[in-house]
Amino acid sequence: MKEHHTHPILTDTHTFLTAERISVNYGQIAALQDVTLAIPANRVTVLIGPSGCGKSTTLRCLNALVKLDKGSITYEDMGIQDLNKTDLRRSMGYAIQSVGLMPHLSVEENVDLVPRLLGWPKSSRKERVEKLLSLVRLDPAIYSKKYPHELSGGEAQRIGFARALGADPPMLLMDEPFGAVDPLNRDQLQDEFIRIQRQLKKTVVFVTHDMGEAIRLADFLVIMKDGKIVQADTPEQILSHPADEFVERFLGPDRSLQRLTLFTADQWMEEAMSGSKEKAEETLGECSNQTYWQLDDQGRPIAGFARVGDTISRRLVSNASHWVQQYSSLKECVSKILNLGLPSAAVVDEEGRLCGEVRFETIQKISRD
Amino acid sequence: MLILCLILFSPAGIVVLQALGQTSEDVAPPGINDTTGGMVNRADHQINFQQKLALVVLLLFMASFFFPFYLARESRISEDIQRGLLFLNLPCVLLLLLPPLLVAIYALLKKGSLSDAALTLSGVLGLFFPMMVLAIVGPDITETYGPLARYSPSSGMYLYLAAVLVIFLMKPKFKIHDLLGIALVASAVLFVASQGSYDRLGIVLEGRNLGSRITQEVLAHIRLTFISLGISMVIGIPLALASFQNKRAEKIIFPFLNLLQTIPGIALLGLLITPLSTLSQTFPFLRTMGIKGIGNTPAIIALSTYALYPIIRYSFTAFSSIEESVIQAAKGMGMDSLQIWSMVRFPLAAPGMLHGIRVALIQTLGNATLAKLIGGDGLGVLVFEGLGQASVDLVLLGMLLIIALTIASDRIFQIFIHLVTPSPLRGKAVGNG
Repeated sequence: MKEHHTHPILTDTHTFLTAERISVNYGQIAALQDVTLAIPANRVTVLIGPSGCGKSTTLRCLNALVKLDKGSITYEDMGIQDLNKTDLRRSMGYAIQSVGLMPHLSVEENVDLVPRLLGWPKSSRKERVEKLLSLVRLDPAIYSKKYPHELSGGEAQRIGFARALGADPPMLLMDEPFGAVDPLNRDQLQDEFIRIQRQLKKTVVFVTHDMGEAIRLADFLVIMKDGKIVQADTPEQILSHPADEFVERFLGPDRSLQRLTLFTADQWMEEAMSGSKEKAEETLGECSNQTYWQLDDQGRPIAGFARVGDTISRRLVSNASHWVQQYSSLKECVSKILNLGLPSAAVVDEEGRLCGEVRFETIQKISRD
Repeated sequence: MLILCLILFSPAGIVVLQALGQTSEDVAPPGINDTTGGMVNRADHQINFQQKLALVVLLLFMASFFFPFYLARESRISEDIQRGLLFLNLPCVLLLLLPPLLVAIYALLKKGSLSDAALTLSGVLGLFFPMMVLAIVGPDITETYGPLARYSPSSGMYLYLAAVLVIFLMKPKFKIHDLLGIALVASAVLFVASQGSYDRLGIVLEGRNLGSRITQEVLAHIRLTFISLGISMVIGIPLALASFQNKRAEKIIFPFLNLLQTIPGIALLGLLITPLSTLSQTFPFLRTMGIKGIGNTPAIIALSTYALYPIIRYSFTAFSSIEESVIQAAKGMGMDSLQIWSMVRFPLAAPGMLHGIRVALIQTLGNATLAKLIGGDGLGVLVFEGLGQASVDLVLLGMLLIIALTIASDRIFQIFIHLVTPSPLRGKAVGNG
């Protein structure tokens, strides 16, 4: 019977994997020195730090791509040194920055790679591929037969993610998976990642150098420097109590804005007033902290009405820079609110239909706490 | 006659020169904005380039008329009698002037279907007329120099055909009517040949003399090439793997290969005689296997040595140019090293390796000609026999066969590469070639 140790910091879950005083040397250079780390199960652990801090090395120790010089890693009460390396790696999904899709294999064959290595029966594999492609929102009918060189950067990254999930591993290792994607696509991929992670609840170890991304995705944030861990805690704790000057500097001057990336729109969404244009003034009344959303016949917001002093002003909602999605961060909400100049940001579902709003008032309240 | 050529050519040349001058002045008429102006400029530049090529063709044509068009001999070994255009009748000369005229028209016309047609017609006729001239002068030669006389194309005709080659190269793309035209010319030539009009052509006579030896030597040539290539692959690919995996092996293998490449082919053949003959004399059983100082064995050894370089070089590059991230991902997904080789490295390196083999194939087909020097078989036999007997026709026959063999094997191998390369990697393979 497996013994579950409660995670030392995230007390609502157990420890999935423990690294005990691990050290790695690359020739004369000490890449990791005495790192001790407990990875919480079913949570996202983000390793962050300046380049050369050992974050990628730590990740690569976990699936034995890097040999430990000292220390041990325990995985389900077994040292990974005692496990067969290929079996170990097949039981962990792996996604890397440059995607590493096999250029000579189709999307389908790429996603199917680990199940194929594990010798799954063909019929279940085909089903699995279709399921995974749908999960990352790529139509299997269109994408299965495509080759990597026909994909955009964002699409390739999604396929890389789907491939990591291939054999439904309990653990995912992601080495700057969104690093090579443009900022707009990166935000989208993060949204997708949060959506999928809430659904699948994998144990994820995620390496990044982007603080916004780290705070947004992490349940457990590990800040590293020069091969050592500087601080490992929940992002909230780190934002409010940085361990030292280095962490403080690393978090950047806009800490309060960064903190907003901890929350997603759906967590703070409130019911929005909506309807036809004519009812705007009547419904809005004297209320100045909300927006009245004019909807089209499919329920998508096309304009927002708000009271400014004595008058009602109307702003057209025309493109994605005017609304947020359920998994967008509150930081993004602030930016959308400023874009439109309304007291709240419209939250839409996948089809673009209004499902609520996030008010500026609410955001202010959160930052005050 | 020469004056006639000059009269015909000089206006064409002047007109082309004028056209060149004009177009460069006419660039970007006023009133067109910058971007379209740039495009006009570029299009004009392209026309200029085509016109320059046309000028080169015209010069080649012109030069061809000043050299002997064919040469005759009273017998196989008697002296050459150079024959210029003066010996042809006027209609013949006028017909030969038609292709250059069409090229000039092409250069003057605006780019369009009409100019395209002029170019195609000039190319096809440029192939057709010289062949017909050869057919016409045949009977004439026997009449003048007796039944043993023979004749061959000479420098003038080679220049003429070179001009025609440039015409075909000027085409951005080979179209169906080009192929149709060439096929028509080929069938006409075959028909004329079947009537016996080429019977006194030197190369035909040599070919007839050799009879079944031609097929024999072609087959020997192919056999020599393929055995050498096979040996080279068996040795080369493992060596490429070794140098890829081991830095020290790389440091030994590549300088050695470079050194081998610098030894001239003939010298290597000579160098092999002594050790091989010593070996076969010491161990008589080797002699029964055909291993001797002279013959095909040293030739095969030399040829496979030369073929090593492209095979190892290309395979090594193919292995090293696989992106590290792909290998990392493969490892991270739990492939063992055998799987990484069989599922990732080999399939990805295959196009590059095949390209190396293709280069080796072409090179070996050419080098195999030297096998004759050490007593081996192959088409070199024809070439060196021809050199020995001062028979240019025989040398030419051997050369043409080698060229045909090389082009045909290259084509076949390219098709083979295309078929075995997975479609997403095809673009890359072209880039290598």
